[in-house]
Amino acid sequence: MAAYIQGRNVNLTFRPPNRGPVRALHNFDIDVEEGEFLSIVGPSGCGKSTFLNALLGLLHIDSGDLRLSGKAISGPGTDRAMVFQEFGLLPWRTVQHNVELGLELKGMLADQRRKISSGLIDMVGLTGFESHYPHELSGGMKQRVGLARALATDPDVLLMDEPFAALDAQTRDIMQAELLRIWQEARKTVLFVTHQIEEAIYLSDRVMVMTKRPGRAKKLFTIPLPRPRDYEMRVTPEFNELKLKIWNELKDEITV
Amino acid sequence: MADVTVQTATESAAPPIPFSERYFNVLLGLLSVVLFLVAWQAVFLFVPFNQLFISKPSLIAAAFYDMVMSGELLRELAVSAVPFVYGFSAAVVVGVTLGIVMGWRVRVGYALDPIMTVFYASPLVALAPLVIVFFGVGVSGKATIIFLLSVFPFIFNTQAGVRAVDRLLVNVVRSLGGTEKDLYLKVVVPSVLPYIVAGARIAIGRGLIGVLVAEFFAASEGIGYAIARYGDLFALDKMFACIFAIMIIAVIMTEGIRWAERAAFPWRVGR
Repeated sequence: MAAYIQGRNVNLTFRPPNRGPVRALHNFDIDVEEGEFLSIVGPSGCGKSTFLNALLGLLHIDSGDLRLSGKAISGPGTDRAMVFQEFGLLPWRTVQHNVELGLELKGMLADQRRKISSGLIDMVGLTGFESHYPHELSGGMKQRVGLARALATDPDVLLMDEPFAALDAQTRDIMQAELLRIWQEARKTVLFVTHQIEEAIYLSDRVMVMTKRPGRAKKLFTIPLPRPRDYEMRVTPEFNELKLKIWNELKDEITV
Repeated sequence: MADVTVQTATESAAPPIPFSERYFNVLLGLLSVVLFLVAWQAVFLFVPFNQLFISKPSLIAAAFYDMVMSGELLRELAVSAVPFVYGFSAAVVVGVTLGIVMGWRVRVGYALDPIMTVFYASPLVALAPLVIVFFGVGVSGKATIIFLLSVFPFIFNTQAGVRAVDRLLVNVVRSLGGTEKDLYLKVVVPSVLPYIVAGARIAIGRGLIGVLVAEFFAASEGIGYAIARYGDLFALDKMFACIFAIMIIAVIMTEGIRWAERAAFPWRVGR
């Protein structure tokens, strides 16, 4: 049976004006099960963000096959939503109206939107900040808004493109725990792109290591740690062993 | 005095400036205006005064009062306001539309940028006699000159605003299923609006120049015509009274926009 998200021989090449073409993905294969949390780690510029954007429907693949629930990706759709590294909040909208953006684009009525957004704002712990503007929020709070906005349209798949990379280390730890709690509640299929091996292990069911550009799937690791996970797990021998194994696969791909 | 200045600088960073100090700063600004007027008045204690060549604040104030009371000032201003409203409104509509197209469609931008720059940079008032010949002495001629002078800040500011639209926000709206129309309404317009308002501040000054120039060249009424006529009649107190009226209006309009900016775009306060 075909996987929930299935990529076969996906190729994608950027053709920027005034410069030579850049092959971002080369014969990239991926299988993600429904409800799974899968992280992709890889060196900078390996095409992992490119893949998320292709799955989101913002980029078109040149060749190969990319399917979600059996249907080929042909453009953006409400079954997928992205959490962006730089948050992507509209600065002229309050927290509430940022969260409601996707619902508004779907044409939902105001009071119905409000019901959904207030529930999600509560879920991400921002109650009381509904009428704040993004510039009044800390980085962590901004990404909570980004997460609530992505969840608002109730997508089946949540795509997260280095969502915590712009946050400081402590905020990042807290946001990881928050994400696990929310994922446990919302039960979405999550594709999570990151540079940080530890973050990938802590959050995921499986971790994929990608090669350097043009990106291919190099190796898949299953993370056998039980759920719910807590911070203590990150200092256990099993955790560190996984970290070392993944690092050994990844380090050959990194060129400084 | 030096102590006071230092204190103001440090306090402005932290909580809002205390009431008394904010007023103190305003008073400082007013003081220079008052000093200027006093010096102007006082200089004729030492220099012989000839009212055919110069006027002084006391006479100007009296003339101003007379002209307000007789309704003359308001009448002339009302006459000039009509072409200003037409010309300026047309400049907003045409300038913003062209600016959006030039910013959004890169090719159109490349095609029109040189010619627009030439027009913006050159002293367009030189064309005023020609415009008057084409459109006549009335409202349409004046409005055309005002339009020509004030349209370019709108074009260039709007274009700059559209080019500064955050691509990430465009992707956000597209990824959530937004159409081309949604992109314009929910991303492009709100990001460009502050640029347009900034352009309006520049355009107001240029538009007022347009009013005066148009009425200097050819008109039978209006505030610019009044300035020119009283100048010709050597009634310099009345001439200055008209000039001050224009100055006050310019300040009110520019500051009004600044105030409206703060009220309308609260998200920009933090920038």
